[in-house]
Amino acid sequence: MTAEELASFRAEVRAWLEANVPRGWRSAMTNAPQEAFVALQRDWFHKLVGAGLATPHWPAGWPGGGRSLAEQKVIFEEIARADAPRLILYFVSLYHAACTLFECGTEEQRDRYLPGILEGAVWCQGFSEPNAGSDLASLRTRAERRGDRYLVSGQKIWSTMAQYADHCLLLARTSSEGPPQAGLTYLLVDMKSPGISVRPIHQITGDDEFAEIFFDEVEVPVENRVGEEGGGWAVAQATLASERGLTLVELSARLAHALPRLGRALRERGLAEDPGMRRDLGRLAARVAAARALADQYLERRIAGRERVGDASLVKLHYAVVLREFARLGLRFGGLPAHRDRGFVRGATQETGHWVLDFMNSYNWSIAGGSNEIQRNIIAERLLGMPREPRTWRLEEEA
Amino acid sequence: MSEYREELRASARKVVEDAGTPASEGAVWPVAVELGWLLTTLPEARGGLGLGWGDAVVLHEELGRGLAGAPLLSAALAAEALAGAENEAGASWLERLLAGEPIAVPLADGALAAEGDGLSGRLEAVPSAAGACALVAWTEGAEALWLIPRDAPAVAIETPPYWDETRAWCAVELRGVPRSAAVVLARGERAARLVEALTVRRALGIAADAVGGGAQLLELTLEHLRTRRQFGRPLALFQALKHRVADLATELAAAEALLHEAAAAVDAGRADAFRRAWEAKLVATAAYARCAEEALQLHGGIGMAVEHPCHLFLKRALLDVELAGDPESLALAVGDAVLREAG
Repeated sequence: MTAEELASFRAEVRAWLEANVPRGWRSAMTNAPQEAFVALQRDWFHKLVGAGLATPHWPAGWPGGGRSLAEQKVIFEEIARADAPRLILYFVSLYHAACTLFECGTEEQRDRYLPGILEGAVWCQGFSEPNAGSDLASLRTRAERRGDRYLVSGQKIWSTMAQYADHCLLLARTSSEGPPQAGLTYLLVDMKSPGISVRPIHQITGDDEFAEIFFDEVEVPVENRVGEEGGGWAVAQATLASERGLTLVELSARLAHALPRLGRALRERGLAEDPGMRRDLGRLAARVAAARALADQYLERRIAGRERVGDASLVKLHYAVVLREFARLGLRFGGLPAHRDRGFVRGATQETGHWVLDFMNSYNWSIAGGSNEIQRNIIAERLLGMPREPRTWRLEEEA
Repeated sequence: MSEYREELRASARKVVEDAGTPASEGAVWPVAVELGWLLTTLPEARGGLGLGWGDAVVLHEELGRGLAGAPLLSAALAAEALAGAENEAGASWLERLLAGEPIAVPLADGALAAEGDGLSGRLEAVPSAAGACALVAWTEGAEALWLIPRDAPAVAIETPPYWDETRAWCAVELRGVPRSAAVVLARGERAARLVEALTVRRALGIAADAVGGGAQLLELTLEHLRTRRQFGRPLALFQALKHRVADLATELAAAEALLHEAAAAVDAGRADAFRRAWEAKLVATAAYARCAEEALQLHGGIGMAVEHPCHLFLKRALLDVELAGDPESLALAVGDAVLREAG
């Protein structure tokens, strides 16, 4: 696609978004019940699918699919620019589930599940456990083979929107032999199966975006396995790589578009004449520009096939750090008035201008999806060639 | 990224590496002239390659990496000014520059005053001015852009001792240089546009110096952590130290990405080019300074010894923060741009 064609595609996407982004969704979502949020998400999802803008990363032949990474980038940038709601309810379906099926699923699995995703089936991810966070490979939810099915028992946590999910991408242990990764198996689980219960987690922000899932001898047919028994770790890597840096292109663009909120906060406090505050705003704006440039450069690298191991960690760590800085400056500019709870804005992501809320929400990015500390390990060990952490250790009192 | 850009980088790295640490001006400058580095951004009509600063910054990154003393940035800015001059005022000077006679441009804020018939003022941080054949500078408010020959009357050049000894820093004082002894390169609107172009490109050049220097210093630091052993193991095994270098790598990667984004904005003449260039300079010099600060700490005692190059990077990094636009003013300019967007 030439630069002109890309520009005209951008104009097309921009025009469609201007006509279709639900107006006033931020105020409508302030203190809204979860059901209203789900309804907004469903409407917006179907609109985007109808316009072919929800599945640009799917292969050609699927509705909306076959878009180049450059076109996908345009879509995400324009969604950020238009301040459209993020598709939080469908993110796992459209990215994690779909990409896992495309890359590792069988023909039958693709035919069975992908059309459902386009019709609005909600998927959740069951990877993390109470005792397996950063150390995911140590997870203990068991899947025992019984003839043509697995019996699953255990507990998953931090599953986004699991209370609304139709299906779950589950990583479970089928063996305790060998290295911990080798005993993991990847299953597609029907969330209406007997033995599943879901408990939303009430978060410090007032949201209940995440949930715990309990599995009590849940039957999963063997044909729902993705990849081989014991091959789940590799499949999980495909799942986690599915959004290919696009999320951070979008989020860092959103951060850049949100800078004026900080400017308005400064004005509202009557501090816009204070050169020290204005300089701090300028310094942060420069950091945000850098976060955006880094995310863009990462995607360009992927497009060119020049990605290095650890590059994705640089982008995520930098964004998480700058997002915190953004929120911290918001707290300073907002001052005492920012401490009045003006309610929770559902689906509003990280930079709402409700500064205490934004500050707390910024932890989503420094903890989830590989904490800052894990990213630093990856950068040091895989990108900078520092030696890896020794694998064995013993506490003195355990010795 | 173009193949040409990577070739340019490889070629520059070789030249700089062969010139010692810090890469000496005497070894780098003649090769830079011979290899035509100054032609990179010069328009084709002037015999140049007509490439952008997206390519040129690669050279400045490599010079930064090698702590090079060659006044390439200053010369590239002079070439830009001479090529953009009204009528053919700059043509013969451009020839001399391309033949290898440096023309100096101040790398710090500062402007001349036009008093009566004379040009006056003190310009700090002018690299290699003592060996230059002329100086390019502008009057306050960018009213006019001037070339002042080195041998014009009432030009005094000092070499104040700067902590950063990797570059040949000079201060130039003009004490009423007669206008007739100087060459006016541009006035009015044209001068304003040229001065804008020079200050933006100067910011890119210093940001590039910081990106390159930071990358090299990080490599030295990583090497130290890998080889230095305490408590029976390499320092690189201590997670507290690994995380600190991971942070440095992250800041430098972001600075590099923003530098190239800003250079692309400048080359494309985008409306946000100014802001991107100021942001790139702020981010890159802050990352370099942080890297230098941490490198000295992570090297331990050896970094405090003059034989080790750590201090050369530190002094250059701390000075880069102050060059190409006072950081407080740049931060204010960017902050005010955000405030304007806020309506």
